[in-house]
Amino acid sequence: VSASGAVTGIGLVTPVGAAVDEVFDAVCAGRSGLARPPGDHALHGVVDVAAFSPPVAADSVIPPKDARLVDRSIVMALRAAEDALADAGIVVGRDVDPYRVAVVVSGVGGLGTLADQAVERSTRGRLGVSPFMLPGVLPNMAAARTAIKFGIRGCTSSVGTACAAGGQSLGEALRVLRAGEADVVVCGCTEAPLFPTFADAFGNALALARGWADPTAASRPFDRRRNGLVLGEAAGVFVLERPEFARARGARVRAEVLGWGATNDAHHPTTPRPDGSSAAESMRIALRDAGLGTTDVGYLNAHGTGTKAGDAAEARAIRAVFGDDMPPVSSTKGVTGHLLGASGVVEAAIAVAALRRGLLPPTHNLDDPDPACDLAHVRGGPLAAPVEAVMSNSFGFGGHNVSVVLGRGDG
Amino acid sequence: MTAEIRRFLLESLSEMNYDTDDVDDDTVLGPAGADLESLALAELAMRVEDHYGVRFEDDEAELFAAMTVGEFCAAVADRVKTASAT
Repeated sequence: VSASGAVTGIGLVTPVGAAVDEVFDAVCAGRSGLARPPGDHALHGVVDVAAFSPPVAADSVIPPKDARLVDRSIVMALRAAEDALADAGIVVGRDVDPYRVAVVVSGVGGLGTLADQAVERSTRGRLGVSPFMLPGVLPNMAAARTAIKFGIRGCTSSVGTACAAGGQSLGEALRVLRAGEADVVVCGCTEAPLFPTFADAFGNALALARGWADPTAASRPFDRRRNGLVLGEAAGVFVLERPEFARARGARVRAEVLGWGATNDAHHPTTPRPDGSSAAESMRIALRDAGLGTTDVGYLNAHGTGTKAGDAAEARAIRAVFGDDMPPVSSTKGVTGHLLGASGVVEAAIAVAALRRGLLPPTHNLDDPDPACDLAHVRGGPLAAPVEAVMSNSFGFGGHNVSVVLGRGDG
Repeated sequence: MTAEIRRFLLESLSEMNYDTDDVDDDTVLGPAGADLESLALAELAMRVEDHYGVRFEDDEAELFAAMTVGEFCAAVADRVKTASAT
C-alpha cells in the first residue's frame, strides 16, 4: 500500500504556457495571462478581461469524424493528458496493464456547447439538437474520452466540486493508489468557462473584477483594492503512480503527493464561511495525512482568487493553522486568472516547480496588502528558498475546501 | 431527384468530416463501407428530415447502415415522393 503518489508526468494548457517551467517562469516574472477579449471572441463586449489559453484543434486529439461538437474543455483535457502521459513516458498496455490505470479527470463539463445547443433548439426546434451533443458536453466525458483515447480500462470518474475539483482529483487519485486499485492514475481537471452565459452569471453575481484600465491589473489577490476574480480557461493533468511502480519502471519522480484533506463550509452555496474554520480544518487534515507538522511546509500556494470575502476568509484560515510561523504564501492567480477547477492542478504544477527549483512565486499585483489578509506574502518578485514540502489550497462554490500537500521527488 | 439527393448526401458526409473520395453508389453507409456509426447515421437522418421535410422512424435510421449510397438515395427519393403525394 502506497503512502504517497509519485508525480511522473504533467500536462498543461494554460493562458501562460504549456510547459511547467514556462508557466512557472511566467508566474515568477509577472508575465500576465490576462487580456481584453479579442474582437472575434464571444466574450468581446461581455467582460473587460479574461485569461485565454491558446486554441487546441479538436481534430488534433480526436479522430475528425468524432471531433464535432466536442466542447473545448474536453479537447484541452485530452491535449493535457497526452502531454502528461508522454512526459511520464507511459504507453498504456506497454508499460502498465490497462486495467491497472485509473482516471480522475473533472470539471463542470461542456456548458458552453450546451448553451449553444440550447440556442439552436429554441431557434430551429428538435432538428437543431445534434445527436453528438451528449458525448460533447457531459461532465464525465473528459475522463471517458481520456480512457478511450489511451485505452485505459480501470476505474474512471470525475468529481463535481466546482473550483475545488482539480485539487480534489489529485486527492482522489491518491486515494485510489493507496487503496491498491491502480498503479497509475491520470488525474486532473479542465474548464472552458469563457462564453457569455457563464461569464454573465459570474458578473451578475458581482464576482468579477471590474473597472481596471489595464487588464493585467484586474486580478490582485490579497490586495486592498481587489474587487473580484478574472475568469480563465485551462486544463491540467498529472500522472500519479505508486512510487514503487514508478521506480520499478525507472521513471523520474518529479514530486510526491504526500496527503490531502477535504471539508465543507456547511454555510452558504457561494459565500465562504467568514471565519475560515472549515478551510483551516482541511489544511490540518492534509498535514496529518501527509505526516507533517506546520513548520515542515515551506510554501503555501493559496486559493486566493481576488474576491473580498474569499481572500479574507482564507487568510484567517491560514493564520489559524500556521500562526506567526506560517510559510511564505502566494496566490498565482494574479498572473493566471481564476482557472476554476483547473486552477488546483495548474497550481499543484507550480508547486512542483517551486519544490524542484527552490524558488517561490510572488502574488502579482499585490501592491498594498489588505490588513484583513495578514499573511507572509511573497510579493514584488520570487523568493529563493529551498523547500521540502508545499501546500496548495482549492476552494469551490458549494463550500468545498481541499488542501493538497506535495513533497520533493528525486529529480 | 436521385442525383440531387446523392449530392446532398456527399455534402453532408463531408460536413460530418467523412472522407468521400472513394464513395460511390455501391458504397455501404455503415461500418462495411463509409463507416458511419450510430450517432452519424442518426445525424444523417436528421439532415434529410431537415432538408427534405420528411420524417424517419428510429428503426428506419438504423437500417441505413446496411444500405449502399444508391439504395439510400432511392429510399429518400421514394420517401419524398410519398410525402409530396399525401
